[in-house]
Amino acid sequence: MQKLDRQFIRKVRRQDRVATRIITLGGLLVIASVIAILVLIVRVTLPLFQPAHASMTTNFSLPATTATPLAVGIDDTGEVGFLLDDHGLFSFYRIGDHSLLTTMAAAPKKERVLTVERSKDNVFTLLWADNSITVTQVDFRLLYAEDGQRTVKPEVMTLEESPARQYPVAVKEIKASAHEGRLTRVALLANDQFQIDREVVTTDLFDNQKKETFSLLIDEALPGMVTTFLLDAKGDTLFAGTDNGSLLRWDLRDNTSCRRTDNEVAVPGRKAVTSLAMVFGDISVAVGDARGGLATWSQVWTGEGKERTQKLRQTHVLTSHAAPITSILPTRRSKSLFSMDATGLVNYDHMTSEKHLLSLDRPLNLFALSGQGGSLIGLDQHRTVTVWGIDCPHPEISLKTLFAKVWYENYDRPEYVWQSSSGNDDFEPKFSLIPLLFGTVKGTLYAMLFAVPLAIFGAVYTSQFTTCAFKKTIKPVVEIMASVPSVVIGFLVALWLAPIIENTILAVILTVLILPLLFVIIMSALKPFYKKPSVKTFCHSYEFLLLVPVIIASMALAVWLAPFVEHLVFAGNFKQWLYNDLGMRYDQRNCIIIAFGLGIAVIPIIFSITEDAISNIPPSLSAASLALGASRWQTIWRVVMPSASPGIFAAIMIGFGRAVGETMIVLMATGNTPIMDWSIFNGMRTLSANVAVEIPEAAVNGSLYRVLFLCATLLFALTFIVNTGAELVRERLRKKYGRY
Amino acid sequence: MSKKFWQQGEPFVWATGLALSLILFLTMLLLYVVIANGLMVFWPKQVALATLSDGRQLLGEIVREEVIPGGQAKRLQFKIGNRDLYGLDFKWVDASSITSMSFPQNVQVLERQEFGNFYGFLSELEVKGLAPPATGSNSLEQTIAALDSRKKEVSLLGKKIANLNRRVEMIDHRLIQAHYDKEENTPALAALQGEKEGLKTEFEALVGILNEKGAALATNQAIFLDANGRTKAIPLVNIVRSYQPNAMSVLAKCGYYLERMRELFLDEPRESNTEGGLFPAIFGTIMLILLMSVLSFPLGVLAGIYLREYAKDGYLVRLVRIAVNNLAGIPSIVYGIFGLGFFVYGVGGSIDQMFFPERLPTPTFGTGGILWTSLTLGLLTVPVVIVATEEALGAISPGIREGSQALAATKLQTLTRILLPMASPGILTGFILAMARAAGEVAPLMITGVVKLAPALPLDGVFPYLHLDRKFMHLGFHIYDIGFQSPNVEAAKPMVYVTTLLLILIVLLLTSTAIHLRNRMRQRYSVTDV
Repeated sequence: MQKLDRQFIRKVRRQDRVATRIITLGGLLVIASVIAILVLIVRVTLPLFQPAHASMTTNFSLPATTATPLAVGIDDTGEVGFLLDDHGLFSFYRIGDHSLLTTMAAAPKKERVLTVERSKDNVFTLLWADNSITVTQVDFRLLYAEDGQRTVKPEVMTLEESPARQYPVAVKEIKASAHEGRLTRVALLANDQFQIDREVVTTDLFDNQKKETFSLLIDEALPGMVTTFLLDAKGDTLFAGTDNGSLLRWDLRDNTSCRRTDNEVAVPGRKAVTSLAMVFGDISVAVGDARGGLATWSQVWTGEGKERTQKLRQTHVLTSHAAPITSILPTRRSKSLFSMDATGLVNYDHMTSEKHLLSLDRPLNLFALSGQGGSLIGLDQHRTVTVWGIDCPHPEISLKTLFAKVWYENYDRPEYVWQSSSGNDDFEPKFSLIPLLFGTVKGTLYAMLFAVPLAIFGAVYTSQFTTCAFKKTIKPVVEIMASVPSVVIGFLVALWLAPIIENTILAVILTVLILPLLFVIIMSALKPFYKKPSVKTFCHSYEFLLLVPVIIASMALAVWLAPFVEHLVFAGNFKQWLYNDLGMRYDQRNCIIIAFGLGIAVIPIIFSITEDAISNIPPSLSAASLALGASRWQTIWRVVMPSASPGIFAAIMIGFGRAVGETMIVLMATGNTPIMDWSIFNGMRTLSANVAVEIPEAAVNGSLYRVLFLCATLLFALTFIVNTGAELVRERLRKKYGRY
Repeated sequence: MSKKFWQQGEPFVWATGLALSLILFLTMLLLYVVIANGLMVFWPKQVALATLSDGRQLLGEIVREEVIPGGQAKRLQFKIGNRDLYGLDFKWVDASSITSMSFPQNVQVLERQEFGNFYGFLSELEVKGLAPPATGSNSLEQTIAALDSRKKEVSLLGKKIANLNRRVEMIDHRLIQAHYDKEENTPALAALQGEKEGLKTEFEALVGILNEKGAALATNQAIFLDANGRTKAIPLVNIVRSYQPNAMSVLAKCGYYLERMRELFLDEPRESNTEGGLFPAIFGTIMLILLMSVLSFPLGVLAGIYLREYAKDGYLVRLVRIAVNNLAGIPSIVYGIFGLGFFVYGVGGSIDQMFFPERLPTPTFGTGGILWTSLTLGLLTVPVVIVATEEALGAISPGIREGSQALAATKLQTLTRILLPMASPGILTGFILAMARAAGEVAPLMITGVVKLAPALPLDGVFPYLHLDRKFMHLGFHIYDIGFQSPNVEAAKPMVYVTTLLLILIVLLLTSTAIHLRNRMRQRYSVTDV
């Protein structure tokens, strides 16, 4: 017996120990995993703010030759780099073992290359000493062997050839562009004139090719000496910079005439413009100057009405260098730019966000980026080749683009814009969170304006003025109301209520005015009788039932009055009047609908917590007040409510938290347009609805995906702070009154 | 006297009463709208034949009557159906342009497999291989009933074909696996290939028979006339149900109502979810709630017990308690996006890479599915369960614990024999509230695995029976989808109301049970406390 007992006790103790461990472990695990939610969401957003990173993969010296290198390049895999020298020879090197792979000539039997112009991915326009032009493309083919080994095979193709042309004056520089059968060649002559030659090949229905040539001379007086010029990829626009800081723009779309559209002073202090480049998308032009300044300019609509014209304006200023800028290299994937100054220092900046992404740690002479932007090759004056891997997944995101006004291309001024996708390829996504935050605040605010007074007054009445029996029915009813799924509320307000309100908008507004009026009238009528005992016994505790007819009457009155008012005051059509006289558009799914929907969702929450807070005030307080002769309202207003105010505050906060995060109602009952307008007659887009709308389309780990996680983080933080504040307040209240 | 009236604040008391009556009024209004609209959907409505002033006739149900905005004239909305004839199901007609209206007894309403309802008059029946139909008002119904066995035969064939398809798919998966494992020319592989070929020929033969039988069945048709005498031939197989609402007695209408209810609960949806039943959605909802409960309840109770009984009361525990309380207030969409990022892409992606690499890039678990959705919802409801468990345990007076321990019971014994049984109603309340919340949530489901039309249920008779990677349908999402994303919202509205009513009933039932339980528990404890 003794032994058995001991065994039993041991067994029980062991069980207890194991259970303690399991429960502790399980409990801690649950709590840890709950905290892990926040950590994980934040972790997805973090790469948005990680700085760009360039890691040097290798560097090696090239053998000395007589040829001068004019351009470099690298393939996407980062395995083969090349060098183009002034003999028109491409030398390909294996980056891995620094050995020469092959050499290829850009064109047979040519003398010397004067200048090289790079456009697109590894397309080079070579100007030879005899003024002829060759457009070549370097292409890399990936070949897979049987064993899965990958080799990169470079190829050089000639895209266009233009024969030698004699110019009357010596040529300083020639630029050319080939686009859809149109070869445009612009030569800057020694006397600062531009000679424009264009070959247009058209193909008719029967496949007959027709070649036309056009020639133009820009001989107008220029504000200064041209230091650099630029032709865009289509050959439609010519930009030129002068030694006194002027930026000129010509429109070359017409074959037979050209027009100077802009002449702006682009550099403060009238220092020389030293370098020009088109930013990806061919809308903005990057201007580098002798001070080392780097800015982008694009065409912006200015003026009003008929005067409205497009003018070149400076839109972004990027990180400046200490020395004059010698070359600008736009990337082909985003609106980012590499810029190099006279000392060989290279900066990497993003145009729209004006974010400085990185600076390379060694001076260079020539540099180039691979097509996808993953590798960068540089050549310095000692003929040393350096290769970097560039890691910059989200150049366009910065705190500034998320939360400040940003000047996007094709916009007239900096604005807050959320526009995550569009039809065309070179579209730049616009991720301003301000319209979404604005929408969240707007929707929540209107909902709270509607819900808070109703819920708090209703709770006061329920806890203090009605009978115990009613209280016991109303509380569960309100609690059940709180559990109505939001998708149901959303559907009802969006598909049932919204059309009704749209048709009777004026009656709705009139009800809001008539109801208090009617209420005051009835109160005044009641005044002589309210002290009579018979009235007291009849009315007390049943006021809310007696008032239901008042609500119905005022609604009926409003519906009856609406056509007359509309006819007399609003010229027969309220919505038309709203649009004509106030400039407000009426959307079917607007803030009134949202206020109703969100209001119905949060009223039960605010109601319950407020009711709890008021009921928990010790009855001795109100008893004392009533004994001292205060009326029942005075007792509530001056004694009970102040004591319960922290609880009521907590109720409002928790209601606010729920309204901020509510998704389905907002998704269904607003138009989800990210606009910023306080008007109660139109919709908005909230953070939560934005996540629900956009996440199915977002590519995993892309910028949009991470920005949406950021939205979720913001929501999390917002509601967590609000709820924690409310919870602390409630805890203090509980301690104070010693209940629960 | 007058000053006193305002000073003493009597009107303000009435104002608070007004607030309460407004709240109750709004609640009742919304409930009324849902119930009235939801319950009336299946009641057969009278079909009116309206003659317009230009001589044309119109046949349809009167859906709505309203005053034209900005005027006094009235207009009526007819549901005229016959989408394949007119293009639109609904038509507004000015009341002034209707010269006469009648309700002919022989109006036939057809519910069809496609193109919505048909309203018209039966002209003749073209039936082959059946006894000549009896003449009379219900000849159509009789003929349709006579075709029933043949229809069943065809649908059985269809099921067989689907089964074959699934088997081929499984073989395909195994072949892909073999290919991935660099298995070649093994006898097992050849056997698989052979089996696949065999199945394919069987499949083709069956499809041939099905097409033949289907075509034979489709030749049985009925010719109908619309209001203006246009003829329309409708194959009898396409008719789901046919009735003559104007000739129906109240009892017949009740029968029709019950038949529609049966369809609602047991049948699959038709016509991009706007007609037919809700069975997959109801099944998905219940399955989701059950899976969620299995995942969330044990963890929630464990954490609640830990916090109340095991953790040493201190600053940290207080902090954690506040945090857990708050997690119940974190927006559900945040849980949704977490589920997407962590469960679907994180865990699911890893599972795919470890166990199903041969199927990549087609995801198996790395895409939304019922497992991930229920995990997400489980996480969302864990705080509810924790809070309920804690409160239930906290409500037990410390004397009971002390008494038990004074009698030499260990902590575990006290917990399992004394505290948990006493707290069980409270914990149960928490469970029910959590289930109610899970039933009503839609936002997190939308991004972790719910779909508008799932090809198969997550639970069926094919190995491994429980398919946790499958996408599913859900009542709440059904409301959002057909109410907001269906091409014909007006025609979809009745279905939305029915779905709404069903969802509300489920949630209200759960919630009121919980509240009832809680109140009973409170009464019990108020006795034990004394």
